[in-house]
Amino acid sequence: MAQPLTTASVPTDIYGGDEVSALVLDAGYCQTRAGFAGEDVPKSVLPSFYGAIKDTNAASGSRNVFGDDFIYARPDFEVKNYMSRTESVVEDWDTAVQMWEAMLLDRLQPERRQTQPSKNGLNDGADGEGDVSMEDAAVSAENAENAEKPLAESPLLMTEAPWNQGKAREKAIEIAMENWGCPAFWLSRTPVCAAFAAGKASALVVDVGGANTSVTAVHDGMILKRSIQKSHVGGIWLSNQIRSMFDSSDPKIEVRPSYMIESKVPVDAGAPSQAILRKLNFDLHPSYRAYEDERLLTEYKESVVEVWRGPGRYSNPGNEDLVKTQPGRIFEMPDGSNQMWREQRFRVSEGMWDETAQLPTTSEEERITKAQTVPELIRACLNAVDVDLRPNLLGNIVVTGGTSLLNGFNDRLNNELMTMYPGMRVKLHAAGLTTERRFGAWIGGSILASLGTFHQMWISKKEYDENGAGIVEKRCK
Amino acid sequence: MASHDVRDMLNLPSEGGGSRPTKKQKTSIARQNLKGLAREVQNLGGDNPIAIVPEISSFKRRRFGSRKPAARWEMRPFRNSARGDESLILRHWRRKTDVQQPAAPQPEQQQNGESNEDKMDADNGEPKPDELEDSSFAKFNVKVDVPQYSEDQYNSTLANNDWTKDETDYLMEVVRDYDLRWPIIWDRYEYQAKDGDASTDSSTAVVPARKNRTLEDLKARYYEVAAKMMAVQRPVQYMNQAEFSLHEIMVNFKPEDETRRKKFAEAQMGRSKEEAREEESLLLEVRRILARTEKFNQERRELYSRLDYPTTETTQDLSTFKTSNGLHTLLQNLMTADKSKKRKPLMGTDGQSTPVTAGPSAQPGSTPLVEQRRESIAASASGNGHGHGRHDSTASATDARPEKPTKKGAQAPERKKLSEQEELTYGVSTHDRLPSGPTFRYDRINKILTTKSNAQHARITNTLNELDVPARLTMPTKAVVDQMEHLLVNIQTLLDLKKLSDKFDAEIKLEKAKKAEKDKAAGIVPQPAAAEPATKGGTNGETAKENGAANKDAKKAGGDATSSSAATTEKPAAGEGVNGEKEAPTKGDEKASTEKPTDDSTGADDKAAAKEAKDDTNGVKQETGTGEEKEERPSSSGGQKRSASVLSSVSDKSAKRQKKQ
Repeated sequence: MAQPLTTASVPTDIYGGDEVSALVLDAGYCQTRAGFAGEDVPKSVLPSFYGAIKDTNAASGSRNVFGDDFIYARPDFEVKNYMSRTESVVEDWDTAVQMWEAMLLDRLQPERRQTQPSKNGLNDGADGEGDVSMEDAAVSAENAENAEKPLAESPLLMTEAPWNQGKAREKAIEIAMENWGCPAFWLSRTPVCAAFAAGKASALVVDVGGANTSVTAVHDGMILKRSIQKSHVGGIWLSNQIRSMFDSSDPKIEVRPSYMIESKVPVDAGAPSQAILRKLNFDLHPSYRAYEDERLLTEYKESVVEVWRGPGRYSNPGNEDLVKTQPGRIFEMPDGSNQMWREQRFRVSEGMWDETAQLPTTSEEERITKAQTVPELIRACLNAVDVDLRPNLLGNIVVTGGTSLLNGFNDRLNNELMTMYPGMRVKLHAAGLTTERRFGAWIGGSILASLGTFHQMWISKKEYDENGAGIVEKRCK
Repeated sequence: MASHDVRDMLNLPSEGGGSRPTKKQKTSIARQNLKGLAREVQNLGGDNPIAIVPEISSFKRRRFGSRKPAARWEMRPFRNSARGDESLILRHWRRKTDVQQPAAPQPEQQQNGESNEDKMDADNGEPKPDELEDSSFAKFNVKVDVPQYSEDQYNSTLANNDWTKDETDYLMEVVRDYDLRWPIIWDRYEYQAKDGDASTDSSTAVVPARKNRTLEDLKARYYEVAAKMMAVQRPVQYMNQAEFSLHEIMVNFKPEDETRRKKFAEAQMGRSKEEAREEESLLLEVRRILARTEKFNQERRELYSRLDYPTTETTQDLSTFKTSNGLHTLLQNLMTADKSKKRKPLMGTDGQSTPVTAGPSAQPGSTPLVEQRRESIAASASGNGHGHGRHDSTASATDARPEKPTKKGAQAPERKKLSEQEELTYGVSTHDRLPSGPTFRYDRINKILTTKSNAQHARITNTLNELDVPARLTMPTKAVVDQMEHLLVNIQTLLDLKKLSDKFDAEIKLEKAKKAEKDKAAGIVPQPAAAEPATKGGTNGETAKENGAANKDAKKAGGDATSSSAATTEKPAAGEGVNGEKEAPTKGDEKASTEKPTDDSTGADDKAAAKEAKDDTNGVKQETGTGEEKEERPSSSGGQKRSASVLSSVSDKSAKRQKKQ
């Protein structure tokens, strides 16, 4: 938490910061991020996928485990997600509470399980005698309520998707207030936070995440509801495109995650794999395979896939020939098979921009329409806001989200916008650091929760008690 | 390696077994403090420790010794007075202040704060807000003022067919909630016509036929309400400046204009790339034109001031410019002022600047001109010249205007081509090169005259007088000026030729006189005089030819004609040097007695007149005498004088001619 400073003056005054040891929780479909406000990176980042272990002896009971280190191949194990794939909002509230507790309580405050810092003897000593007695008293008072109010000291700031519904929002404040006893709570929308992370109060936030891509106009720290545009063009959609490409390539490329491989031997490029597969002596739930596949594909995306930078579409004549002459990238599968990827790595991502270029998908739901491509989302978003705001929004486009880290994404987006709005000043603001792009919303929340001027915004416990859960609708607009 | 180690190796006896362990102990104790290089250096000394190794290092002790006790920090509770409720007490790290330390109530207060925090609902905790520090950020909480109105006020002033009171209330509420941020207000405005008690929470409620309000509608209504309430609270006439202007702005809000403006803005956003580029280039052009007009205006202003200068004088005293001389000096003044001002050449903006410069010069002159001229003609004899001058200026002014299209035409070649006939009628003319700035056409004539010396000038005017052509053109149209120019050139050649012929006449006479004298001296009757001129005429004809060639060359060379002719006349002078010198004193005395030979032309003219008078008495001799004298003088004096003398000899003839008439 806040480090003791050696200088007499408190430098946070300059930046308008005033730490109140708040916690920030940002839940997404692929990852859930939690950490302390005022820090620049979340302390705890867990996949939103969790493992449900069926207890063999108990008839219906199952035990949930959270975190990558618990997700491995084991019997009676199912991988689930507590978030909704299409909406990126909480679906399974019971598990959500468990998961968040696992992060906020166990991971962020492990000392809760141990003795209190004031009682473990480390801090005893030269303190004034009055001080000690005071702390003891406070601790004893706390301990009495610890069981039911584990977060009584920390205000909590949560983020939510901009299209989150009233019921879900009320549920969130209920959990924070009733279950954890937070002294204060706030619910902030991810685009607002992402804009804050980029240092802007007004921005057009293009959030290309794992499950969804959303484009939202933020004006003066508030989203414009009519401008919200959402599409499932995201990391998972891209994975499906890659799958489709693997299936259609001439020797069909098998996706075999590393847990299936017992041992592998090096083979030439394009040669079939000669790996020995692991034999499991138990039935593995397909969800685990899907989860591992996704991880492998994510690695593929990170190291191979690139976006055609433009100008113009990738399908324009000549572009593919040009790409074929460029050096490609080699990717080795966990089973040892490897291949050089040239033009294919551009093809898979082209569907984000040009719906005619998308690869055929298995399910009809995965298909995207023209309106769901990234440039069209931006156009629709801009058309839904006041004309006077549009130039400013175009000059303040904040790009965030993990999938926006694809090579060439920003160049392409810039090119598309330049052709779409010639004569306008288009400026993209995309954080250079990977973590800042992946955790943009969390970082914005962290900034917000540590601001001195934000203290007046918090919904206090008392206000919640007086007004009920409906207060979140009134306050967190 | 220490010395005792060497001793050990060589099995040498050490210096007493008893002392060794103690020494070892000593060194080991000493070594404990030393590290790294220092220890190596120490070891070099072996049993005898070296003094350079620092004995003690005090920094370790000082580290804790001289430092102040660590600053104490505490989690201090505080509240934020900007909050709606005062119940939230948050805690942040602050340095512990000495004031609070000894105070007994401090833990109490903290307890209060924490108990309040722990059980927020428990109001019995009663935090003492005075003792709790207020957040330093509370001052940043600013709220907008939204007009308030009562039921009566609404009914009396604010009633509107389009807006129910309910909706107006809702609007005011939304405006307050979103701090007058209109895009957000419009975005979140979801009013449901009151159907029982419709809550503002519309995200879950079913929307029954919501009216779609545009942003302009909302603004218009709000401004209407705000302006009216403002007027209610304080009548318009009592408002101060700021209030009044605010009121005016709100009253004058025109939603239609706003809508139109936004439509334009939207259309502007939807431009294609080509349109955008075109507009950009047009904007660039406009900017360039604006910059140019600025420059142009500045030049025009400069020009005005320049033109104004003499006119201000004329308002004081017009009479100085009423004569042709006066006008001429004015022109000269203008030209010298022009040159001295060292202005930029107008070539770049010529097309625009000429008509403008012509304009002002014409405007002040042209209208009152007619009367002035009439007056002057009636009044003074010199009005003749004056009239000419004025006419010149008007004519050139009116002529200057038609010149404009030609220049424009040069710039824009797509202009319709005029036939020769039309060009004549419109007075259009094309020029290869134009002098900068406006000129009087009359100047061309003047230039021809002014470049000549005064004597020549006078002779030309004399010739013109003979021809009954006025020296000042009454109507210097282009054709007239051209003709005049031609005439002047012809006069010039005529004068040159006349001069030559005069010279030859004089020579012939001289030769005749010489012959006559020789004959007289020889006592011969002047009979063969008839044969003599014949031979002389032959030689003369040759010299005349030579002279003619020289003259031609001289004409080509311009004004040098006189000097070269003088050179040719020197030949005979040299040939008859003896005779001439003999004659010179006698004739010269005669002349000196009558009048002193002067160099200036008037003097020459006078001389000529005097000689003419003597001519009757002295006859040929006199004539030749002067001729000789004149021809001698150049050899001794400068070229200028020589030319003057030549001119005077010519002027003699013209004076004679005048007499004859």
